[in-house]
Amino acid sequence: MDMLPAGESTAQVGRWAGQYLIVQLQGESFGVDITVVREILAYLAPTQIPMMPDFVVGVINLRGQVVPVIDMARRFGRPATALHKRSCIIIVDLQEGESRQRLGVIVDAVNEVLEFSAEQIEPTPQFGAGLRTEFIRGMGKMGGQFMVLLEMARVLSMDEMAALATVMTGT
Amino acid sequence: MISIDPQMEAALQTFFEESRDLLQDMESALLFMEESGADPERINAVFRAAHTIKGSAGLFGLEEVVRFTHCLENLLDRIRAGSTDLTPSRITLLLSCGDHIAEYLDKISVGAALDERFLAEDLRLLTALTEALGTTLPAPMSASVLKSEARPGPEVIPPGSVKTGNWHISLRFGVDTFRDGMDPLSFLRYLEQIGEIVGLVTLTDSLPPLAQMDAESCYLGFEISFKSDADKSQIADVFDFVKDSSTVHILPAHSQIGAYLQLIQQLPEADQHLGEILVSVGSLTEEELQKALALQDVGNQDGQHRPLGAILIAQKMVQEPVVQGALEKQQQQREQQVAERQMLRVRAADLDHLVNLVGELVIASAANSLFAMQDGAEDRVESAAHVARLVEEIRDGALHLRMIDVAEVFQRFPRVVRDMARTLGKDIRLEISGEGTELDKSMAEKITDPLMHLVRNAMDHGIESAERRRALGKPVQGCINLHACHDAGGIIIEVRDDGGGLNREKILNKAMEKGLITSEQTLGDREIYALIFAPGFSTADQVSDISGRGVGMDVVRQNIEAIRGSIEIHSTPDVGSTMRIRLPLTLSIIDGFLVKLATDTFVIPAESVEECLEYPERQGVPGYMELRDQPLPLLHLAGVFRIDGEAGKRRNVIVVRHGQHRVGMVVGAILGNQQTVIKPLGKLFDQVPGISAVTILGNGDVAPILDISALIHGHVSAKHIH
Repeated sequence: MDMLPAGESTAQVGRWAGQYLIVQLQGESFGVDITVVREILAYLAPTQIPMMPDFVVGVINLRGQVVPVIDMARRFGRPATALHKRSCIIIVDLQEGESRQRLGVIVDAVNEVLEFSAEQIEPTPQFGAGLRTEFIRGMGKMGGQFMVLLEMARVLSMDEMAALATVMTGT
Repeated sequence: MISIDPQMEAALQTFFEESRDLLQDMESALLFMEESGADPERINAVFRAAHTIKGSAGLFGLEEVVRFTHCLENLLDRIRAGSTDLTPSRITLLLSCGDHIAEYLDKISVGAALDERFLAEDLRLLTALTEALGTTLPAPMSASVLKSEARPGPEVIPPGSVKTGNWHISLRFGVDTFRDGMDPLSFLRYLEQIGEIVGLVTLTDSLPPLAQMDAESCYLGFEISFKSDADKSQIADVFDFVKDSSTVHILPAHSQIGAYLQLIQQLPEADQHLGEILVSVGSLTEEELQKALALQDVGNQDGQHRPLGAILIAQKMVQEPVVQGALEKQQQQREQQVAERQMLRVRAADLDHLVNLVGELVIASAANSLFAMQDGAEDRVESAAHVARLVEEIRDGALHLRMIDVAEVFQRFPRVVRDMARTLGKDIRLEISGEGTELDKSMAEKITDPLMHLVRNAMDHGIESAERRRALGKPVQGCINLHACHDAGGIIIEVRDDGGGLNREKILNKAMEKGLITSEQTLGDREIYALIFAPGFSTADQVSDISGRGVGMDVVRQNIEAIRGSIEIHSTPDVGSTMRIRLPLTLSIIDGFLVKLATDTFVIPAESVEECLEYPERQGVPGYMELRDQPLPLLHLAGVFRIDGEAGKRRNVIVVRHGQHRVGMVVGAILGNQQTVIKPLGKLFDQVPGISAVTILGNGDVAPILDISALIHGHVSAKHIH
């Protein structure tokens, strides 16, 4: 796996400039690259698929297409996301090699879309964000506040999640 | 490589498809003749195939194909004329030529470069063809010369015929020539391959004024004086592709002046003008023209009108056989056109899209019925039921569109068996039965490779050597049988051989050697045979080119299971073995049997459900219940899937069967049957044991479909461990 090295140069960070969807997850704000977000759905209960790892909540019927739904907090190694009135599912399209994967992600709330310029994005810190560093694309600076801009291709890496699923189902 | 006008692209694709079909026909005809001797009709079929490919390839400027096919055609022409025999070695040569053309077309269609191996093969075949041609007849006695001898030779010019020894060809291309994907220029270019264009005048008489001209229409005509040794049918064949839409007249060398006159009269242009053109092209001299026009006047006074064909034959312009040949050809062409009208070529992707939509329709219709039932309004329920019935018919119809005859899968095998029997030095015949059994096209594609493997295995390992067969009192010729039939909501395809059967001891020893089993285990025949599907398993003492590398059978099983099929082996020592593949009817829609586990709905494929029973609260032996005096192993699905909240509720037992195994699945409520569309689960869920896919129910919910085979096998092997 070619992981992005932590603390990459500012030049590299520069290409991440653009619009980010700011989502709320267990009291923390995260930026999700707007180009991978397809749509935002009000929460609907997924159908559980037995014997899946805990971060796979289940599958939903998206206009005839079956889409897996992931609990991102669980992927981060945190407690499961509690459901409430503002909970929603954001649908993302990720390109992984040749195949394109459509996935749903449960978040507590969707706040706004923010534009980050290259100067507003700081390289990933080595530690202290409470997340695996390869999940982090960079730190977005907005109004004196920092928030994590997520590297969704890593967070929702099919290869890694499928491998985890295999381990957990014990086959 | 050849650069192709984008407009020609579609026509080119059609050419590739048709050529592949033609090559397939050619191969079948050759194999048939190898079996039962040469017969004129099939030789003709082979010739026609090669000829059509050559003609079309010429249109697309695929010179290499034309050149190669031309040599092939020469040999075929001799065979057709009877001057060369169709020996088995020639059949082999012709088969290789067919393969070579197919490979060439494949390469062009994907734009691949011609590699060295290909060119070497090209050279080898051309040499072989030349040899086949060279050894039979002295050079000048070629078939075409023999034929053309019938027409008056250049020395003896009968009275009344024109002086020139050249053919005259008069062409009026149809208005739609360009739209049909043809280019007049390529015909002329192709014409030059069988002779020399001595003179040519382009007729622009029918060109409309510029303002009215349609750029996509063809208004051109040509008068050509043509020098060639080819016979009339060969020249006529050049224009085969436009002969229905265009006007083509061909006058042989030294035709009677009357024939030219007839031509002049038939063509739309003014007689005098046309006459002058004929002179300028060089087909007629000035005097001859005058004579012709004089003749015309006489004819007009007589008021006679005779059909051109009659005049031509009366004046010995064309020979009887040529006319006969042309008539036969027309007949064939007509029959072909009728056949084409009955069939329709459809792009597979369009069909897949349609079937997907029908799948959605099935779901939507189920939802519609559900809501109507909830409403309870009688007329709504009735109309929903009516819609549902129609949707079901549409679904059956749409699925049927994707069905192809299993014969299409089998048609490759005669060749494979023939070639392999030679490589192995065994005498093996192939029997095919059960044609007419239909299966899904995508399934047909996926089953071909596994079948190929099984047939090769049967030939290599199954069929014994001739000596051994003789010693056993069996016929020396081995037999492989491919059979297909429908069976209880599925399709069965069998590969049978009358060879030695599977060697039980050998498999056991090998399995122990590989550590697949231990010596304490006692296994039934069926389980032993199943061992050959283990990865890396091969009992062949000698690894041959064809099989025995042990990569085969596990891949075969995987491929079959990937399309929800299963395979079982029956074998009797010294009598033979049978590989029986069981496939579902379609890949995308199944009859589902809906059950509840706690609050979740699960789908069991209805084809594997045998019966439903009430769960007996009192059991003798835990894990088993009694079913008609037989113990039935029970599988608690809630336990398997670790779902809580099931205990205490009313439970049911669904008896399911897969192959020889029967298991009772303990579930909650039974919801009944429903048509369900299979949706693949994707990579993330590849490894979920016991769940093969999901479906969307009428109310929009997603429900997992149980993988009965995996559940039963998992259960059986778990039992072994405990």
